[in-house]
Amino acid sequence: MTASDLDAAANAIVQRATQRFRAHRDQILSSTDRLFMWLMLGQWVFAILIALVYSPYAWEGKVKTVHAHVYTAVFLGAALSSLPIALALLRPGWVVTRHVIAAAQMLWSAMLIHLTGGRIETHFHVFGSLGFLVAYRDWPVLITATLVVAIDHLIRGWIWPESVYGITNPEWWRFLEHAFWVAFAIQFLIIVCIRSVKDMRMLAEKGAELEALSEGEWRRSSVLERVDPAPARPAAV
Amino acid sequence: MTRSSTPGSPAGYDRIGIADADGAIRYLSKSEFENLPVAERVRLLMGGKLQFFQGDRQLTAREALKGA
Repeated sequence: MTASDLDAAANAIVQRATQRFRAHRDQILSSTDRLFMWLMLGQWVFAILIALVYSPYAWEGKVKTVHAHVYTAVFLGAALSSLPIALALLRPGWVVTRHVIAAAQMLWSAMLIHLTGGRIETHFHVFGSLGFLVAYRDWPVLITATLVVAIDHLIRGWIWPESVYGITNPEWWRFLEHAFWVAFAIQFLIIVCIRSVKDMRMLAEKGAELEALSEGEWRRSSVLERVDPAPARPAAV
Repeated sequence: MTRSSTPGSPAGYDRIGIADADGAIRYLSKSEFENLPVAERVRLLMGGKLQFFQGDRQLTAREALKGA
């Protein structure tokens, strides 16, 4: 086997390993997009139920009307979920799809927090969602999610604090406290994402090593057969 | 130094020897070997120039890689 033969064969093996790694990663990204598509639908139904249970009716004089929260859950919820669902169906695995999903997921947290009157317990949805986003193993989506939730808390905390904190006069820096805990959580999650991708790459490289070993053994045995062919089988008596 | 004779047993390696062109053997730890670019590892494996060890015990390449 000449050096150029060896280089060509080695490059082919490395290329196949790279393709396997990319295919594995694409499969994870696409399947996670589809997973979030179902979550978007589920959250929409859940938000409508919350709105119906929590504040189904309002009274204006003697007239009972459906509370604005129900319409918010139905229409704003549909608006929030429609783009991520469309992208997950039409462009699964695309980088924009997962960033749109990350942003929408945080806006869903905002919506649910609003519908429950700023209940602190509903803020757990933010942290749960960050955990779900790790399924992508793509850490930049966590940055998108963090920015969206921080900006949401800043703006809503400023113009409508009751909607996000459940009180009318929070400290001006309250959004920073919430953002700090999110930043605290994503540091660990980013490390998990990076390690996970490294493991996937290592898996592909292990495959390449085994392939190289087999290819090398096969090539050497082929050379030996040419140099020293096996003796002819004795004729049957 | 003994060569393992248990085919298929997951052993794994902790050290490798690379035979240079002049016959000298250069030793690397497992992590040093894994930090080599994958293309270089593939070339070395294809060239059959690697010896795998677990402690003092020499392993076959297949045994070493399957157990790694």
